[in-house]
Amino acid sequence: MTPPIIQAIMTVGTSLPRIDALSKVTGEAHYPGDLVMPGMAHAKVLFARRPHARVISIDASAARAMPGVLAVFTGADLPVNEYGLVLFDAPVMVAPAASAATETSFDGVVRHEGEKIALIVAETEKIAARARDLITVIYEDMPVIASIHDAVKPDAMQIHPHYAGNLMHEYRIRRGDIDAGFAGADVIIEDTYFTGAQEHAYLQPEAGLAYVDEAGRITVQVAGQWVHEDQEQIAHALGLPKDQVRVIYPSIGGAFGGREDMSVQIVLALAAWKLNRPVKIIWTREESIIGHHKRHPMWAHARLGARRDGTLVAAEVTLIADAGPYAYTTTKVLGNATVMCVGPYVVPNVAINSRAVVTNNIPSGAFRGFGAPQALFVAETQMNKLAAALGVDAVALRLKNLLRDGSITVNNTPIPPGCTITDVVQKCVAAAAVAVSAPAISGQAGSRFVTGRGFACGHKNIGFSFGAPENCAATVELHGKTTVERAVVYHAGADCGQGAHTVFLQVAAETLGLPIEKITLVASDTATSGSSGSASASRLTFMASHSIVGAARAALDKWREGERPAVAHFVYRPRATTPMDPITGEADPNITYGYVAQSADIVIDRETGQFHVRRLVCADDVGRAVNPQQVVGQIEGGVVQALGWTGLENFAQRNGKVLSQHFSTYLIPSVFDVPDVVDSVLVENPDPHGAMGIRGMAEMPFLVVAPAVVAAIHDATGVWINELPITPERLRAALQK
Amino acid sequence: MNIQIDFTLNGRAVSIDAPAHVTLLRLLRDYLNLTGTKEGCAIGECGACSVLLDGRVVNSCLVLAPQVSGRDVMTVEGLAPVEGAMSDLQAAFVKYGAVQCGYCTPGLVIAGEALLRDNHFPTRDEINDGIAGNLCRCTGYQQIVDAIEQTARQRAAAQVKE
Repeated sequence: MTPPIIQAIMTVGTSLPRIDALSKVTGEAHYPGDLVMPGMAHAKVLFARRPHARVISIDASAARAMPGVLAVFTGADLPVNEYGLVLFDAPVMVAPAASAATETSFDGVVRHEGEKIALIVAETEKIAARARDLITVIYEDMPVIASIHDAVKPDAMQIHPHYAGNLMHEYRIRRGDIDAGFAGADVIIEDTYFTGAQEHAYLQPEAGLAYVDEAGRITVQVAGQWVHEDQEQIAHALGLPKDQVRVIYPSIGGAFGGREDMSVQIVLALAAWKLNRPVKIIWTREESIIGHHKRHPMWAHARLGARRDGTLVAAEVTLIADAGPYAYTTTKVLGNATVMCVGPYVVPNVAINSRAVVTNNIPSGAFRGFGAPQALFVAETQMNKLAAALGVDAVALRLKNLLRDGSITVNNTPIPPGCTITDVVQKCVAAAAVAVSAPAISGQAGSRFVTGRGFACGHKNIGFSFGAPENCAATVELHGKTTVERAVVYHAGADCGQGAHTVFLQVAAETLGLPIEKITLVASDTATSGSSGSASASRLTFMASHSIVGAARAALDKWREGERPAVAHFVYRPRATTPMDPITGEADPNITYGYVAQSADIVIDRETGQFHVRRLVCADDVGRAVNPQQVVGQIEGGVVQALGWTGLENFAQRNGKVLSQHFSTYLIPSVFDVPDVVDSVLVENPDPHGAMGIRGMAEMPFLVVAPAVVAAIHDATGVWINELPITPERLRAALQK
Repeated sequence: MNIQIDFTLNGRAVSIDAPAHVTLLRLLRDYLNLTGTKEGCAIGECGACSVLLDGRVVNSCLVLAPQVSGRDVMTVEGLAPVEGAMSDLQAAFVKYGAVQCGYCTPGLVIAGEALLRDNHFPTRDEINDGIAGNLCRCTGYQQIVDAIEQTARQRAAAQVKE
């Protein structure tokens, strides 16, 4: 048998153009809202638009009677009226109690403003919108609980039947002896922090097209982050076997965690199934903003104790997250925040209590960083305050306490091998030439514009945590006679814009020794691939590269054995993780981590309270940069998104009603709001867990922008800011104190 | 009430019947099947629907379709010299990594093209001004500004040669 000629083709590590770029710059790429089918009907959702109310009745008779209306669906039409990523605790559409086709735990209560009441399907979008206005819903409004503080009051009304005391979930970590630890501290830093909600603001609002495909499957083309999870959620609600539901992702217009939970998927599938006709929906921007979850607002109280030489001896943190009324991914986000909230340091004595509290705000869920940015804002601001209190260099203080290979984490287990944060910090410092001490106030007093520099670093898990099943499938087909002439890679992984599909092909090309042009990718379709897991947790490049290398190698083996075409399927399963012990928090929670360090140079206008970042240095250990240009794109984009959260994006809700429903009131960074310079430092220490050393990276650039900016504000003005976003009003008020 | 709208679209004469109240964005997407122009907000806040109207960039969601009668409209589909190819600016967006999710890309390519037609030697600040009405949530804008800047240089160099 002739062995295949494995050419040394260097594809991993080169900035090949994205495989989808041509279609995107010419306008040919199809996003869900661009899809059309013959005979397609159009749908609109009736949202509750009130935060807490009992649905007494829904009268859709006038809407149904309107010419051109095909159907009005309510929760009563769903065989199983519930959804949820970690728990099925949310109704797809709120229906009056006891009207559901089958028993569910739901009680006809609207628990947030974005709750769905009905889906109207008509010949045109306009008719559907008009018919929506003809539906009469009788509500009985209930008291609104709009803050975590009100939610935990002893006499507070219980919002959700599953969550007594409005407590959704809690974690507890105990390591060492916290009292003895603080007793041995020369300095204790103690403060209270708050970080606000954040809207994903992907440019493509939710949209989709559902139809019954040639094999009789209810098919939904939509933008999401995990086709097989969408398939499972749809099948569950429709009471169908999974193989009767198919999910396909066309081009996805951004996600950032905001497409992990269900938006239009289930209602569209319901309509196509019941009507046996293609049905399309496009949400407006306002519908998108009230219709999907937000980054968790978090409140924290923290104490950090150290000896005079800077050695950390004790850390105590209480963390409370506003979950909104349903779980979404809250339990996981809170777990991450719990693990990350004392930062990437060795702390011998630790006490952490974290809670997720139920409110009538828009549900909280996944958003780039998944709890780590909130936690690290607390941890790193505490560290910077400690450095200031001790009068020591903030970087030197880190270097003394950073986790290293073999260090024991807050979970009382060793950090996974490949802990490179010391190197990342040093490379960031070298790039920024950071001389961090804090004497910058003198000489600037009285000047309107003052400058400052701040530093922060952090870590975050790559891949699912706490024992969640973690795997990723790939199939590789090799075609040809004597030599491999072309290959096909089947992979379900979602390219939300981060460039995953290009990376898949680069990894396949490198492994197969084929030019990338000879490889076809069949992606993001439940009908053609096994599950990839989600595009989240900085995991997809890490997991998919393992799966593709595995499948490609197995296919090459079959090729050598003479199989034509040679087809191999491979499921990558990383080392298992474990959940946190409920009393001590002991766990081996994560497969591996990503590490980041950032330095921010800012200028503050003391008169207006605005700050501007002149230069932001971001060093990120990516293990191996599969496509350096795309890595830089993730860093620059992640930094800017984090700056939005830090200073600009004020997601305003009052008494459970969203006030910022447009880009005119919810400000995301424009080109004027970005740093003058973002220096991306690509650190490439191979991850021992990674295929080819590849580590995940997409969330890391987001992680510590906020604490670096807060440190820079302190450097410039001597004022500490404990609350995000640092709007001009807030900063000006703080400076005037 | 339908109305006949005659205008030039991507260099070709178009005549179409459409309701008088539809926006140019809807006319392009729903009546002419040109879905390259995207809707991000429908109220002129995001720039995803940018097109050239008589060579100037406009938010097509804020233009009523009958307003383009007798005028010249250029969308992202019309920029390439031949079908299936790319304009120099589109190619620069690919080369410099200015495309991630791509939903804002058609609008940004249009805004960049409008800028470059007006200003052959833009500074980075002037490029910022030119794309200030276009939001991107993925890139952080640097690679987009790079692509426009490099295209300006290429065009200037090509002019010198001629």
